[in-house]
Amino acid sequence: MKKTLSFLSLSCILFSLHAQESVALQGKELFGDLKARQIGPALMSGRVSDIEGHPSNSRVIYIGTAGGGVWKSQDGGVQFYSIFDDQPQSIGAVAVDPSDPDNTVWVGTGEVWTRNSVSVGNGIYRTTDGGKNWSHLGLEKTERIAAVEVHPKDKNTVYVAALGALWGDSEDRGVYKTTDGGKSWNKILYVNTGTGCSDLVMDPNDPNVLYAAFWEFRRTAWSFNSGGLNSSLYKSSDGGKTWNKIQNGFPQGKLGRIAVTVAPSNSKILYAVVEAEKAEQKGLYRSDDAGATWKHLNSDFELTVRPFYFSRIVVDPLDPETVVKAGLSGSISHDGGKTFKGLGFMHSDIHDIWFDVKDSDRMLVATDGGLYRSLNGGTTMEIVENLPICMFYHVSLDNQTPYNIYGGLQDNGSWFGPSASPGGIEARDWESIGMGDGFRVYPHPTNPKIMYSEMQGAEAVWRYDIEKKQTKIVKPFPVQGDPKLRFNWNAAISTSKHAPDRLYIGSQFLHRSDDMGNNWTKISPDLTTNDPAKQNQVESGGLSADNSGAENHCTIFSIAESPLDQNLLWIGTDDGNVQLTKDGGKSWSNLTANLKGIPAKTWCYHIEPSSFEKGTAYAIFDGHTRNDKNAYVFKTADFGATWTSIATSEIIGFARNIQEDLKNPNILYLGTEFGLFVTIDGGKSWSKFTNGVPAAAVHYIEQHPKTNDLILGTHGRGIIIIDDISPLRELTPEVMAKPLHFFASKPFEMNESSTFGGSSSETQFVGSNPSSAAKITYYLSKRHTFGKMTLDIYDDKDNWINTIAPGKQKGINIVEWGYNSMAPKVASGKTVDGAAMFAPRVPAGKYKVVITKGSEKFETWIELKYPEKTVFTLEERKMQQETVKTLYTMTEELAYMVYEIDELLAHSDKVMKENTSLKKHATKLNADLNKLKDVLVITKGDNYVGAGEKQLREKIGDLYSTIGSYYGAPSQSQLETLKMLQSKLNEGRTNFKAIKDQQVTKYKSATEKAGIKYIELKSFEEFVKKN
Amino acid sequence: MKFVSLCIAFIGCSFLSTAQTAEEVIEKYLKTLGGIEKINSISSMEMKAKVDYGGMTIPVEMITLRDGRTLTKITFQGQEMIQGAFDGTTSWGTNFMTMKPEKNDAETTENVKRTAGVDFMTPLMDYKTKGYTVEMLPNETIEGTECLKMKVTKKAQLVEGQDVPNVEFYYFDKENYVPIVVEAEIPSGQMKGQISQTVFSDYQEVNGIYFAFSMTQKIKDGQGQTIVFDSIELNKKYEDAIFKFPGE
Repeated sequence: MKKTLSFLSLSCILFSLHAQESVALQGKELFGDLKARQIGPALMSGRVSDIEGHPSNSRVIYIGTAGGGVWKSQDGGVQFYSIFDDQPQSIGAVAVDPSDPDNTVWVGTGEVWTRNSVSVGNGIYRTTDGGKNWSHLGLEKTERIAAVEVHPKDKNTVYVAALGALWGDSEDRGVYKTTDGGKSWNKILYVNTGTGCSDLVMDPNDPNVLYAAFWEFRRTAWSFNSGGLNSSLYKSSDGGKTWNKIQNGFPQGKLGRIAVTVAPSNSKILYAVVEAEKAEQKGLYRSDDAGATWKHLNSDFELTVRPFYFSRIVVDPLDPETVVKAGLSGSISHDGGKTFKGLGFMHSDIHDIWFDVKDSDRMLVATDGGLYRSLNGGTTMEIVENLPICMFYHVSLDNQTPYNIYGGLQDNGSWFGPSASPGGIEARDWESIGMGDGFRVYPHPTNPKIMYSEMQGAEAVWRYDIEKKQTKIVKPFPVQGDPKLRFNWNAAISTSKHAPDRLYIGSQFLHRSDDMGNNWTKISPDLTTNDPAKQNQVESGGLSADNSGAENHCTIFSIAESPLDQNLLWIGTDDGNVQLTKDGGKSWSNLTANLKGIPAKTWCYHIEPSSFEKGTAYAIFDGHTRNDKNAYVFKTADFGATWTSIATSEIIGFARNIQEDLKNPNILYLGTEFGLFVTIDGGKSWSKFTNGVPAAAVHYIEQHPKTNDLILGTHGRGIIIIDDISPLRELTPEVMAKPLHFFASKPFEMNESSTFGGSSSETQFVGSNPSSAAKITYYLSKRHTFGKMTLDIYDDKDNWINTIAPGKQKGINIVEWGYNSMAPKVASGKTVDGAAMFAPRVPAGKYKVVITKGSEKFETWIELKYPEKTVFTLEERKMQQETVKTLYTMTEELAYMVYEIDELLAHSDKVMKENTSLKKHATKLNADLNKLKDVLVITKGDNYVGAGEKQLREKIGDLYSTIGSYYGAPSQSQLETLKMLQSKLNEGRTNFKAIKDQQVTKYKSATEKAGIKYIELKSFEEFVKKN
Repeated sequence: MKFVSLCIAFIGCSFLSTAQTAEEVIEKYLKTLGGIEKINSISSMEMKAKVDYGGMTIPVEMITLRDGRTLTKITFQGQEMIQGAFDGTTSWGTNFMTMKPEKNDAETTENVKRTAGVDFMTPLMDYKTKGYTVEMLPNETIEGTECLKMKVTKKAQLVEGQDVPNVEFYYFDKENYVPIVVEAEIPSGQMKGQISQTVFSDYQEVNGIYFAFSMTQKIKDGQGQTIVFDSIELNKKYEDAIFKFPGE
């Protein structure tokens, strides 16, 4: 018994210790209101990998994307919303269960358009409620899934085409089948560790008939191979029990990628697109006997172009002779594949096509630049404008207010746009500053008119003067004695924090320019391994040559100049080297051998030199191109002599980027293939940040020094900003043990800019702005659920100003206050006076915040200040505030007068009806009061164009809100209007007094004599009381 | 051996204690609220609140009867506006422009009819009798708190002429079995498909029954609008006329 108790005690202790240690690391219990805003943009959108429609309701459409998850439309493709934020964002295939199409959808993760930058998946998911909740149903190691086919009458029978690993051998590929709804899977067709199932199609009219294409393929960081003797097309007619090759009519020898499809309206007709050894044998094949024999029809460019990227063929559901092939531009045939014509103008690189099941003129097309709609059979196309799935490789920031964000995108050029814009961040706020594939983009550190961008393989590196609209190509060229310069597809560029006109570019050498790219000096030897075996890109591609530059290797990938010393430069290469110079490039140390615990030649993806210690840096290695998906995160504190791994098992996905917090070196932000991770203890433990950050690949992270915002460049969900992460800097175990802890805040600048802006329609994506309100930020150690909790604001003289709804969640709460006190009490009328609803701003100063939680009170102070770049003097502000106060008081005094009148009117109405002896008296009083009221407030009409003529209430309200919403002094004419209104109010008061003196006194006495209860008026203070 | 068995029993118990059926959770929830008997004794609820609208305080009064009749009255600069009213046959509200009553569209009215009365106090009362289904989903952390998540499928609702499932997700605080968040998919309009959340707190006792005195309505991950009730009165009597659609 003693032993048992000891065990239980020990368990409890261990459990509590574990709980204590991990409390800081439970992201969902910690980050609370620290939420991300996704600002897109969507104007260039991003790669869409798969389209799937509902089998009978063409309003319901799903799209899978290359790095942005799954999106759903319920209005026929006008608007889409994300339904797959928490799972891997790289999507291979989406399939709607034909027997439960409203609810059950399967998603195979891992895109199958296997370009160099393709991401990875982790198996298969299913929702049974239309996308609100998802279950992970295995096949974790398949990496990429090409197709999912669900039995039309048995929802538990599902076939999956697992293409499998791109970067290495794997047994987790082939055709899988489940008959128990995904609880267990059987691999029913497998070829070998290097050949996966690239396409799988079920005969729509016979679920036992399946066609499976197998593809032998392999990518390395420096090469790509498509094709081999193992690529084949198979058919099963017994639900996958047995399979036979069906290649009668196909070319002999090696085959590459094959796409296959069945005409939904005629199961005998099949189309296949085949990659083969000979050019004349590549292209489209057709079978009219369900695959028994094939006939070669066409080798047009669009049918043979880049099979690894475009192997998809789709048949019109209503017409077996209309067939569309994905491709560089996409093409359509209306004669059963004999001839093709191009689809309408849209972004290039077409990956999938969808036809409306009821109207084949209505199509959707998936491209590298988003999703396009056509209403005329693909002749003209329009982009879907609300898919913020763009794929950034990099981000950088400038120092403007609001700051701008710069970055390059997969196949969508280079751009910059603002972090805030009146009315929200719209498509029109973004400016194009580079063509082709965009990668690293930098603003000049001190000249906001100059910026740098590049295209793939540094084929061009531009310096752009945005004011003069002039571009100059400033890439370094080889000089006498130089070997061929090798630039990465995503070539490393960097500006300098120390010398504004300095620019670095990495080939295999580090090049430096001190005149904004006009002239270049090579300041290093070849810093890579310079392995000739990895430099044979001209032979890349396999059966279809593919030497685009995407496989350039043995290049510099990361250039990191120390923010503390301009001569201290860290270099990371794609073939695993880490090099350091402490003297601006005169001498170099290769630190690679000092790295322990990482396979040799692992790609050094990013180096982050510390802002605190010169000898400290962080290095991120990405091994996924060597089929190694571990996260490698290292730190050195001795200039790279020794390195320590700071990766833990809490990190999900291979890592790509790290940002050291600019104020607290213990806080690090890590971008991985599956999202953002944060440590507040220097890497001892990591927590996933999920508040608005999907599980997208975070390729780059920056922090803005002025705002403390964290800016993520994601490869599939655009730019994501977490505004002001400074509360994290204050978090300690002691803080988190307190019931409530207020975080310190800097004085809040009261935003006075215009609110005009915003002209986007509801079909266009608009990124949200940061809040300009004051923020009361606190940590709650436990969620408040029972009892009352309030938050009140007082001025420095303890006058109550406002009550705001407090946040009550466990973790960080951020309550916003828009600097306003309470709106005045407004006179009752026949209409609503919108202008008088205006709640005036408080003056700058210190304000006390009191949170009352049951019997406990917690207090803090916040400070408000006027904008630094203001045009108003304090004297002008004071004048405005006093005038607003005068009008506020006038509004409330008028309200009280009207209240008295209304009470008298109600009383006299009753007396008129119920007491004949007092009727005459009451009638006269009633009439005189109504006459007076008619000039005080609107007493007729409605709240729209039937409104009556404005009266005193409305005129005071107009002037009050006009002066109240401008923070400078009122104009002379406004003050004259005020005088006039004061005189009108006085006139009203005088007239009311006259009525009271002449009639009300007598009326009161007469009614009391008659035993009628007189009015009990509230006092003015009681009437206007707001809390 | 005995020690090992006890250890296994201990570990087993800790697992068992986390696996609760939906029925058990609902039972505990209703008990926490005050018990089925007390809940059944309520015939009407009148909830009064002041809604803060950018510094403007707007008094709001919500009356709901067990038979499904309901109204929300907003008083504003001397104007009284009715919203979300239902008299048993017609659902209606005041048009803000004309200040005149107008009927809601037929689909809205039909959906009101389908839940009127049967969801009084909580849809989870007598859920089986009403034909609702409940199902526990894996626990989730929301509002920083680990919660028991329950899927509640109510009577189908009509959306653009089609019957579609009416599903809500309840997040019960594991400690005290009250829902702190209820989620549902927005069924129509521009926000169709987005998830709406209602966040509950400030549970306080009224006549032996607990009510959430604070409710925040928002889109998932977005900013919300909070309504805090000043008072909740139970079992008051009302004139039939106040619910009745007054005519065009």
